[in-house]
Amino acid sequence: MMSKEEILNKNLKHYRLSQIEYHKICELLKREPRPIEWPLFSALWSEHCSYKSSRLHLKKFGQTLDETVLNAVGENAGVVDLGRGERIVFKMESHNHPSFIEPFQGAATGVGGILRDIFTMGARPIALANYLCFGELQSNRMKELIQGVVSGISSYGNCVGVPTVTGQTEFSSSYNQNILVNAMAVGLLREGEPVALSQAQGVGNDVVYIGAKTGKDGVHGAAMASASFDESSGQKNKPNVQIGDPYFEKLLIESCLEVIQKNLVVAIQDMGAAGLTSSSFEMSSKGQLGLDLHLDLVPVRDSSLTPEDILLSESQERMLLICEPAKFLEIENIFSKWGLDAVRIGKVRKEKTLRLFWHQEILTELDPDLLVENAPLYDRPFEKWTSPRKVKELSLVQNIQITEWVKNYLGSLVGGSRKPIYRQYDQRVGLRTCRDAGFDVAVLRLPDSGRGLMIATGCRPSIMKIDARLGALDAVFYPALQMAVKGGKAMAITDCLNFASPEKIEIMSEFVASVEAITQASLALKAPVISGNVSFYNETQGQGITSTPATGVVGLCESLENLPMDTFQNADESIFSLRFQTVTTSGKWGELRQENPQYMGEFKIDEAAAFIDEVRKLAKTKNVTSSQTVGQGGLAVALAKMSLQGMGCVIEEKLSPDRLVREYFYEVLFVVKDANEFLKAVPEKMKVHYLGSTCPGVFKLPGEEEISTKELNQIYQNAFQEVFHVP
Amino acid sequence: MKKVGVIRFPGTNCDRDVFDWVSGHNQKPEFLWHLDQFHSTDYEMIVLPGGFSYGDYLRSGALAARSPVMKSVREFAELGRPVLGICNGFQILCEAELLPGALVKNEHQKFIDEWAGLQIENPHSHFGARYESGNRLRLPIAHGDGRFYAPAKELKKIEDQGLVWLRYQNNPNGSLNNIAGVMNQQKNVVGLMPHPERASHFWMGGIDGKDFL
Amino acid sequence: MARYAIQILPREVILDTQGRAVEQTLKLQNLTVQSCLVGKYIELDLGESGAEGFQKAKSIAEKVLCNPLIERFTVQTLNDEVKL
Repeated sequence: MMSKEEILNKNLKHYRLSQIEYHKICELLKREPRPIEWPLFSALWSEHCSYKSSRLHLKKFGQTLDETVLNAVGENAGVVDLGRGERIVFKMESHNHPSFIEPFQGAATGVGGILRDIFTMGARPIALANYLCFGELQSNRMKELIQGVVSGISSYGNCVGVPTVTGQTEFSSSYNQNILVNAMAVGLLREGEPVALSQAQGVGNDVVYIGAKTGKDGVHGAAMASASFDESSGQKNKPNVQIGDPYFEKLLIESCLEVIQKNLVVAIQDMGAAGLTSSSFEMSSKGQLGLDLHLDLVPVRDSSLTPEDILLSESQERMLLICEPAKFLEIENIFSKWGLDAVRIGKVRKEKTLRLFWHQEILTELDPDLLVENAPLYDRPFEKWTSPRKVKELSLVQNIQITEWVKNYLGSLVGGSRKPIYRQYDQRVGLRTCRDAGFDVAVLRLPDSGRGLMIATGCRPSIMKIDARLGALDAVFYPALQMAVKGGKAMAITDCLNFASPEKIEIMSEFVASVEAITQASLALKAPVISGNVSFYNETQGQGITSTPATGVVGLCESLENLPMDTFQNADESIFSLRFQTVTTSGKWGELRQENPQYMGEFKIDEAAAFIDEVRKLAKTKNVTSSQTVGQGGLAVALAKMSLQGMGCVIEEKLSPDRLVREYFYEVLFVVKDANEFLKAVPEKMKVHYLGSTCPGVFKLPGEEEISTKELNQIYQNAFQEVFHVP
Repeated sequence: MKKVGVIRFPGTNCDRDVFDWVSGHNQKPEFLWHLDQFHSTDYEMIVLPGGFSYGDYLRSGALAARSPVMKSVREFAELGRPVLGICNGFQILCEAELLPGALVKNEHQKFIDEWAGLQIENPHSHFGARYESGNRLRLPIAHGDGRFYAPAKELKKIEDQGLVWLRYQNNPNGSLNNIAGVMNQQKNVVGLMPHPERASHFWMGGIDGKDFL
Repeated sequence: MARYAIQILPREVILDTQGRAVEQTLKLQNLTVQSCLVGKYIELDLGESGAEGFQKAKSIAEKVLCNPLIERFTVQTLNDEVKL
């Protein structure tokens, strides 16, 4: 017989609530919570659903919103107006913990979840991207994790019919015990297509359950996502793994878009983390209206499900919809055509409470604001960022065979070709893809205006290790620069902030510094942050990941013609470097050499933004055949990567080893037909240097032996041999 | 103008692509739902697009081949009218035994998306009619179950009767005899694994799929 | 020498997406079923037999063939008559 205190502690542990949170619940309810209320608070007050440790700081992103963002407040994502009636919606989300447990299904359901966030707004998903961080190949299960995650993304994205057009795959020991799987989706609203909102509206309206039947999938999933792995997790932890069904999701996409476009829907929300609970409470709270929900009417996979199971189930491919009673029949017919359930499970009420019924018996009646608006808001302790690894001078790199180093770099998982990965993704379904995952920046064609939509991800963990603020600025500036170098402009940003425990002051400090940096970068580039996601507690037995604020950037280019290529194209063209150099980092070179991560200089945000503008203007001239940003690995690697398709280069400029491997913020390369014409176009204040010229078949760095472009490419293509057995 | 029927099964995801591609040929496409039947006289040709009908569950194309609409497709085919199956459409036509052979899992067990070099073996009078025997073209492939298989006797028949439409120049999936596309004995029904609709505009990266119908 | 049949099915709590799709098609053809589960059937031919062989087959199923998070399996010793 357990004491009252023992029972309480058991509940607190099971539902992952703290003593303080429990007292707050009692305060709000003015009594102790009833049995059915425990799971509600557990789910909605989890970090994953409530953002309790991050909300306070995420508000800063609000400053970046401007007139191009519609429906910004309270929705899953802001809608970006690109003009001419074309609007896009996009978001990125993490599925780190489930992917570590079951990589295939974890990654697959991650893709499914992010897609639902897009089409729930009435936008047709047109592209997927992913940001993945894995550990060292020799660490436990890593090969299996990589293969499983790629398989999962491939299998889900391909079947659901949305092309996976770009991504980023990082490798570092700091992810050995906590991999990162962030999925991004982009949706398009064409002229005249309505945006669907999620606030409950219209007293007397029907609450309708749409999609797959509810099973015991992932019960306690949201709470699980918010907890770090400890000794007891692993084999003993056999959760009810959520299974994603991309076929069902495809049916859901078509049917939801149909009912939205026919204006049959008042509000719609996807059932994601904490399933029916989060969707119903959020819709109710946003609309400031009440809902009656009859849990016994929810379609279930097996009859053993309890009300608690139903409330917490994370069965995939389900939505909650609100409609006028008169419109229900037509909605039901449409869903039935697509083979999906559409069942009325409740009503919208004037009085702002959520009443949960089980066969006519009221289980509880709660004000939704208690769970949503009044979720805990923590001001976790942090310190102002002081850039602890900034130095006056970086040590000079000397006495090193750069070409050898480049070969090793390109032949490694860090620098090698990701083709074995993206070859598994359908990149062309939808007939919009102009530049697929083989390019640095994906480009899709907007069908009505013919303009190019660009997509790129950002965040370099090696820079984050050097300095969180610098790394976070780079997470926005670098993809924007990648777009500029092709003539495109970054329009808006989404983020997926992956961090270890916010209860540790050093981590929280990095978090706050990152949010502030992203905000500043976004303002400088006039690219608002329209959506985002936070994943905390990415740590195992106290060992946390490198703070990784991943970003997804979407941009626009007016024309698809004359986009500079990524590699050298023609012989005897001139290679120029343009630098805007305020910061030099020890970079990936330093990390691989186990140097102390360091940087020197000051990142000047406004100057960086101005540099990006100038680069964009230059990229648009017909004189430019190819262009590159100089990123991870430095100049030598950038030149080598441009030499992978048969046309190489001979670098004449006397460049020191140091100059060839350090990473500068920022440097770009332009390859032009007419050198004089190019130099005339470069603004005076920009530092431009001639490096050398293109040359068929060879790659030659100053003072070193030349190697063949064929050899370089072979090394590059075989880098993932051990993981994917490249045929 | 007579219509071009574009069949849609639950899970078909290249339906809109094919619809636009057909429109680009100045033809009039119309969607046909898998539960409906249609009159052969109402349509000039029938196209089964690519995708993942029924999620590719059980076997690719297996469940779709048993959908009600296939009765009408069969009648249309028996009248000698032109039918084109692209990727999943090809798989469905094989499962429905309107085309010889079967498509099984890629040899290396993975989904593959890339541009494939192809060669016309026996040109078709209706589909891709502008290409002659020996002509080369580049079309994207994107499939997990694209390996063409037929038992030895049947394979010999397919070759001898001139039913091979296209072959891969560099076999990407282990298809026997590098077969990328075939036609039926009557030579009115054709299927191919590559996607011609994905190579119909310059900005797609190639135009060998243009002027195909 | 002995042969073993390993049958792998989704765990009861796990959603069987293939089974669900097949069920739907059967329903359309008026061949309604109460439920349909789709799994895998694997035959192993081992040098060992008797209890040793059975153990080995079971071990192979556990360690390699089955994903215990989402699947369950049974092992059966096949006699010579049983050959698919």
